[in-house]
Amino acid sequence: MERQIFVKKIKRLSALLLALAMCGGLFAGCGIAGQRTEGEAEGGSGHPGVLNVHIETNVQSLDPQEATDGTSFEVIANFTDGLTQPDADGQPVAALAERWETSEDQMTWTFHLRRGATWSATGSPVTAHDFVYAWQRAVDPEVACEYSYLFSDIGQIVNAAEVIAGTQDKSALGVEARDDYTLVVHLKAPVAYFLSLMYFPVFYPMEEAFLEQCGDAYGTSPETVQSNGAFVMAQYEPASTEFTLVKNEAYWDADRVQLQQLHYQLVQDSQQALLSYQAGDLDHIIISGDQMDQVAGDPEFSTCNAGYLWYLSVNISQVPALENLNLRLALANAIDRETMMVSVVKDGSQAAYFAVPDGLAVGPDGKDFRETAEDYSDVIGYDVKKAQAHLEAAKEELGVASFTFDIIVDDDAQPQQVAAYLQQQIESALPDVKINIVIKPKKQRVLDCQQGNFELALARWGPDYADPMTYLSMWKTGNNNNYGLWSNAAYDALLESATTGEAAADPQARWEALHQAEAIAVREMVIIPLYEKNNAMMTKGYVSGIEFHPVAIGRVYKNAAVV
Amino acid sequence: MKTYILKRVLISLTTLLVILLVLFTLLQLMPGSPFHDEKLTDAQRALLEAKYGLDQPVIVQFFRYVANMLQGDLGVSYSISKNTPITQLLQTRLPTSLRIGAQAILLGTAVGLLLGVVAALKHNSFWDTLCTAVSVLGVSVPSYVFALFLAYLCGFRLGWFPQLYQMAHPLLSSILPSAALSVFTIASVARFARGELLEVLGSDYMLLAASKGLPKPLLIVRHALRNALIPIVTVLAPLVVSLMTGSLVVEKIFAIPGVGSLMVQAIQSNDHSVTIALAFVYSALYIGIMLAVDILYGWIDPRIRLAKEDGRG
Amino acid sequence: MDKQRETERAADGKSFAWRSDDFQLYGPAAAEADAVFQAPGFWKDAWIRFRRNKGAVFGLICIIVIVVLSLAGPALSDYTYYGQITQQQNLAPRIPILENLGIFDGTYILHTTTGDVVRNGYLEQGFGDVYYWFGSDTLGRDLWTRTWMGARISLYIALVAVLCDMAVGMVYGLLSGYYGGKADLLLQRFAEIVNSIPSLVIVTLLLIVLAPGLQTITLALILTGWVGMSRIARAQMLKLKQQEFVLASRTLGAKPRRIIFREILPNSISQMITNTMFSVPSAIFTEAFLSFVGLGVPAPMCSLGSLISDAYRVFTIYPYQILPPVIVLALLMMSFNLLGDGLRDALDPKMKQL
Repeated sequence: MERQIFVKKIKRLSALLLALAMCGGLFAGCGIAGQRTEGEAEGGSGHPGVLNVHIETNVQSLDPQEATDGTSFEVIANFTDGLTQPDADGQPVAALAERWETSEDQMTWTFHLRRGATWSATGSPVTAHDFVYAWQRAVDPEVACEYSYLFSDIGQIVNAAEVIAGTQDKSALGVEARDDYTLVVHLKAPVAYFLSLMYFPVFYPMEEAFLEQCGDAYGTSPETVQSNGAFVMAQYEPASTEFTLVKNEAYWDADRVQLQQLHYQLVQDSQQALLSYQAGDLDHIIISGDQMDQVAGDPEFSTCNAGYLWYLSVNISQVPALENLNLRLALANAIDRETMMVSVVKDGSQAAYFAVPDGLAVGPDGKDFRETAEDYSDVIGYDVKKAQAHLEAAKEELGVASFTFDIIVDDDAQPQQVAAYLQQQIESALPDVKINIVIKPKKQRVLDCQQGNFELALARWGPDYADPMTYLSMWKTGNNNNYGLWSNAAYDALLESATTGEAAADPQARWEALHQAEAIAVREMVIIPLYEKNNAMMTKGYVSGIEFHPVAIGRVYKNAAVV
Repeated sequence: MKTYILKRVLISLTTLLVILLVLFTLLQLMPGSPFHDEKLTDAQRALLEAKYGLDQPVIVQFFRYVANMLQGDLGVSYSISKNTPITQLLQTRLPTSLRIGAQAILLGTAVGLLLGVVAALKHNSFWDTLCTAVSVLGVSVPSYVFALFLAYLCGFRLGWFPQLYQMAHPLLSSILPSAALSVFTIASVARFARGELLEVLGSDYMLLAASKGLPKPLLIVRHALRNALIPIVTVLAPLVVSLMTGSLVVEKIFAIPGVGSLMVQAIQSNDHSVTIALAFVYSALYIGIMLAVDILYGWIDPRIRLAKEDGRG
Repeated sequence: MDKQRETERAADGKSFAWRSDDFQLYGPAAAEADAVFQAPGFWKDAWIRFRRNKGAVFGLICIIVIVVLSLAGPALSDYTYYGQITQQQNLAPRIPILENLGIFDGTYILHTTTGDVVRNGYLEQGFGDVYYWFGSDTLGRDLWTRTWMGARISLYIALVAVLCDMAVGMVYGLLSGYYGGKADLLLQRFAEIVNSIPSLVIVTLLLIVLAPGLQTITLALILTGWVGMSRIARAQMLKLKQQEFVLASRTLGAKPRRIIFREILPNSISQMITNTMFSVPSAIFTEAFLSFVGLGVPAPMCSLGSLISDAYRVFTIYPYQILPPVIVLALLMMSFNLLGDGLRDALDPKMKQL
């Protein structure tokens, strides 16, 4: 009753609401009447010179010394050149550095910069000072660059570690501009992969005057980034879902660049990506393993090495049962990786029976690391009988009849599917082992791993530079990413020798040491390798020349063309 | 009346402050920082935390945060878009989400009312069954399934609308997401409208109005519908907030640069400052709308105000 | 009947009583007369009205069927909900007998980038005598067993939602409304705060602090689900507490506990039951959403929500996988809604007069 009286007095509100509702109807009406105006390409041919690319995550930063993720690296590399750049096979070739030489002891590098390379916003030439400024910035504790360890542990640049630790001023960093076009770098030890390190974005130059002029706003709009590379940012907002780069006419190598426009579109849902691709809105997309049935036999389908190694991280030091090698071997032997590739992962990824993936690094003999390495598939490959025998041995050694392990997994679709498969594989091959799956957001999973707060973890590692050390250094005693706190004196000694010790200067001996180190890591089962991730892609027939790399920069468009 | 409004506003403001405190505490409880990445060493993480003042005592962080908030500074993002002021992130995202949400509400209310009215008038007919079917389907199929279905059917197969949100065509490309989001609104409005109308239509005053010889359309709109609207408004109010602040999944499917997808991303990447800022925006909208509804009710019918005050003693 | 008459008399204050032989029935139809004139009790009356409501009965039957199937369904099939047969992935539904009619024979249309193809995984891979009644999923698990296992979890969540509404929301709202004043102000602000913090924040925080799993999801539902009910309960309390029968009870010296739970609660029960019926679907959905962001029940356990989100990932590829959980969920929701409607009509004294 009360409500009804109240109701009568609400005339105005209801009238307003009704009117609004009508508007809503009109809204919808307009929309249906209107037709699609753009992006209605008929699939047959694209817009010549315009490439529409799919990304799965947004750009986190356009600052080469701040960025940490693959998408950001790829975009930064579109508009910034380093001293070197990767060729189609990933080998470093001249970019801003025209030529270079090393000293006898391979500890001093002299880079001669190209004249004629300019910054797009200020128009000033790219000089050696820009490199010195950028590198000092990267090791500056105030900037807190995540990739600063590439200067210290990996690059072995003089004083880098001290500057990062704050015990030395950043001007002490072992890099100097002898003149505007000569950059000299001093190393503590010979670094075999130094040139390929140089195309990693954290080593890219930065013009001091421009950065200071932009201040905190650097990299938040097309006006606050500048280019010395193939493209110029034309339209961009922080964390935006779409942005556009156009060809940099002033690029030193502009003749090579055929694309007029490079348009990025963020699509997090792979089904939507494929639909958009089929509708002609996107020219190049990454698809999920589930979609393989839909694209099988399509000539536009291809795969590329994504560089990541997926593995089970094992908490060796804190979980008594997992300290037992037989138990780790039992787990490794219980997993049918080949079926997993065909039936679960499905995106062209390859089963991994190793700690250093395929296609990562080429040795002094010109052959891939894997080609000359041992084959461990008989040690850790699928063999239920062996797995059960190992388990029996482990039971005896540990005096325990059954085991239960939690496995922590990222909250993404593929890791969850892989985990469900692993659980079923292990439980059916080893009835006395029970596996619980615990799903966590990725950052949380990483935190748990780093704090040793886990039993098994489904983890991945992407290479930072084209050398086996990018993987092997992970399991050195005391390394932050040695989640299982595994420690092996022989292993440490081999790595020591290969980085700063006697093998460092002798490429062949170093390669040998790395092979031996890998053998220890695999045979001791510091991790349980699962697979080497490949990306499944669709690329329109009229697109050519996109280069894919497992290291540092995922995709390079300098030679890409759309006809 | 004025004192009542003033009192209500003051209470709401206090509530907001408390919410800020609660959010802040909640996020402090969360283990880990945005800097838990495989490639960061402990020393580097400490440096980063110091850089953003995350190593300060919680109480210091809180007061600094509130002070900044009062000046309209929501802080910067740590990991989603490094060093970008959150206000800048929200500048384009919030209006997009608000617009799409508003469209969804309007569309949902219009269609829902229409369905509900027709169903009530043609009680126990085909239309009535259709209305029931739509509302059951609407509440039992998640909106993201509709979203993908619409993208597939209207976007891909029929080619009527863009499948993905295009910043160049904000209106056209927001139709599919709005439609997908409106399904739940359609369902609940249709349900409530039908139920309330049936009740109203059976009431004595409708009989009276009809017997006075009023034309039927006028009767329905002026008398029946108006009375049925009240509970619908009550149901809609919280729905408005959740739709306006963006649907978490639908935004992801259509690649909409909105606040909903930002929220999920912020939570998953431990980007605390973005999470707090977004949650606060959400809370502020919620409290604001509830306040508006309360004041509106009180203004329209003083008895409600009295009842409320009485309720508080 | 006699008892009722006595009470009426007591109210009149007279001490006069009919004796059972004062009147005698005329004619043979004694039993019928009794049945016609007997005034049924409230619950019996409600049950009669409920039974007359076809929709509500249908809803109740549906729920019973789903409950039975969720308990017995997995046992009807030879498959387990967790067993993966990797060779038998993504098979479309195939049912014996029905397959001869050209439906449910394992055939489906696959939209590939090079055109649509009719596929039948059973025939292609030579599984002549293999039957998946609802099809199999991307890991080669039987969807029939998984759907009913999922229904089991979702029903459990529905139960939790009901209990939580009753135990937390209702009591909170009743107390807040009854005591009023400062207590009400504080309690209402608290509810407002809880409600205005996005539930995703609360839930993910919980899932991170505690281990993801059914217990954590239950806790999350309890923490976020009660506010709506507390509002209804408080409104009812405010409406009823000024009424004469409460005043009478208070005058007679009844304690607050008795007034709240014995006087007011029964009078507002119908409103609350209706609201409960609506909070069931929303609880099931909250869980479904958690599954979608990957924080639902841990594998290989499944819920209708997690089944929908799994199937969603291959929706444009194998659309048949999403149908069983969506249909069961839709039936469940519809049944709860119909049941809720029926209960409201049956219990609401206002509706009784119509």
